Amino acid sequence: MKEFMTGNHAIAHAVKLCRTPLIAAYPITPQTPIYEKLSEWEASGQLKGIMMRTESEHSAMASCIAASLTGVRTFTASSSQGIALMHEMLHFASGCRVPVVMANVNRLLAAPWGFWADQLDSLSQRDTGWIQFYCENGQEALDSVIQAYRIAEQVYLPAMVSIEAFFVSHFMEVVDLPEQEQVDRFLPPMDLPHKFDMDKPGFLVPVVPSELYRKYKHMAQVSMDSVKGLALQVDQEFRNEFGRGYGIVEPLMVEDAEVVVVTAGSITGTARVAIKELRERGYRIGLLKVRLFRPFPGEAIREALRGRKRIAVIDRNFSLGGGGIFCQELRAALVHSPDRPLVFSYIAGIGGTDVRPEMIERVCLDVMERTEPMDTPIWIMEEGS
Amino acid sequence: MIEIKFKGRGGQGAVIASEVLGRAFFLEGRYPQCFSLFGGERRGAPVAGFLRVDDEPILLKCQIKNPNQLIIFDLSLIDEEEILQEVKPEGEILINTSLGIDSFRRLRRFRIGLVDAGLIARNAGLGATLNTAMLGAYARLTSLVRMETLIEAVKAVVPAKIEANVRALREANEQTAVYEREIEK
Repeated sequence: MKEFMTGNHAIAHAVKLCRTPLIAAYPITPQTPIYEKLSEWEASGQLKGIMMRTESEHSAMASCIAASLTGVRTFTASSSQGIALMHEMLHFASGCRVPVVMANVNRLLAAPWGFWADQLDSLSQRDTGWIQFYCENGQEALDSVIQAYRIAEQVYLPAMVSIEAFFVSHFMEVVDLPEQEQVDRFLPPMDLPHKFDMDKPGFLVPVVPSELYRKYKHMAQVSMDSVKGLALQVDQEFRNEFGRGYGIVEPLMVEDAEVVVVTAGSITGTARVAIKELRERGYRIGLLKVRLFRPFPGEAIREALRGRKRIAVIDRNFSLGGGGIFCQELRAALVHSPDRPLVFSYIAGIGGTDVRPEMIERVCLDVMERTEPMDTPIWIMEEGS
Repeated sequence: MIEIKFKGRGGQGAVIASEVLGRAFFLEGRYPQCFSLFGGERRGAPVAGFLRVDDEPILLKCQIKNPNQLIIFDLSLIDEEEILQEVKPEGEILINTSLGIDSFRRLRRFRIGLVDAGLIARNAGLGATLNTAMLGAYARLTSLVRMETLIEAVKAVVPAKIEANVRALREANEQTAVYEREIEK
């Protein structure tokens, strides 16, 4: 059934459709509408679960981990300072191998203070052992939450679905709401092989000797690596059930492209428009959207970019002293590519500044003039600044 | 694709109006995309709501810089220079005002709708909330949306004072004066 709603509410619908019994969260702008919608449904009895209103994001994640260990599906949503405060518990979640699913609304990190779109909050958590998806719109966010549960519960690793503040979280658009029966078919109840039992109390997270720790981390890596194939398979099954899918990366008009623009998140939609326009004017530009960030789909990216000579990565995030984070990862993935494409790093939309089709066009025209990529990224500023 | 900007002051209902109109377009099977600038909402402060609508899903994820249609809830927010810069040349403007068309000579390159939405809303018992009156006027100016759909959308989005809102919607639809654009000589 089609409905008209924000990206935040699309995520809340996904959580409801997944029959998540335990939601633990703390409100923070711009994620709060997810929390509010779920609370509203809890009050009206429509939610098949309970909301734990914790005193902090750190406790929200601790609650999700503990509940997940008893074998129930869990959810939390956060953003910016909230996910930063959660950081320690994010490591615990992946270390305890719990399939917690979290929605993160990408908001800049203070200081200075602000509420605007910037992917640094979740990208700063890239080493915490969470599966990470970046979504272009509310529909994809809804679908990705459902997929995330399927994947997480199969590999026993937590998964994060990110959308950008305002441009996705607060944009109202037409969203196709899946039927409950369809979701039930696609996502069976969670079934963990080992769970905490109140009658037989146990203990987790003991001190372990070095070798055991190493063994444990290696096992986690094997599981995480399997997510690339699994995410593709789950996406295909999703496509069979719901009639739409996304892949883990999406190449668009790359076959003959002289320049391929790489994006993640909401800038992808705007780039689709910009690139179509440039194509009509005779420029051979392609687009590669990166949807799965952890594990980083290096093979899929090398395959999609085979034979391409010039890549421009646009990042709405910035690691001070490093550069655009998607670009760093992409460069590392292409080091062994026989084509050795030139990879240029562009920073745009930091702090929620508007990325218009004209700005993407400027990137494309700029990259065609350049001969040598630099370590330092190129900042594309909005007009008049 | 049509891009619409709603300009008002916090409390007048400009943002809700963009949502109601978005829902009306949705109910008519079109693809709206609706958003507002968030961060500074409070009563009396200038606010803006935005709406894109197309016959296919909208891919753009950026703000609206040059709207085709501008809907002004508050006369004090009119800056003619800004409007001439901002609105697309073939654009349409709807203004809540008790003044006549002679007061807007510099804007005659646009198609203009004038309505005393403030008076209509007050008479309908809605106080300073103008959104439904402005939407009735919008339907008259643009003919892009049916009144029945607008009423359905109002019922879905603004569940309070439904009768008064429908009255304001109809009244404003009848009382809106439409002025075709003057071709510059």
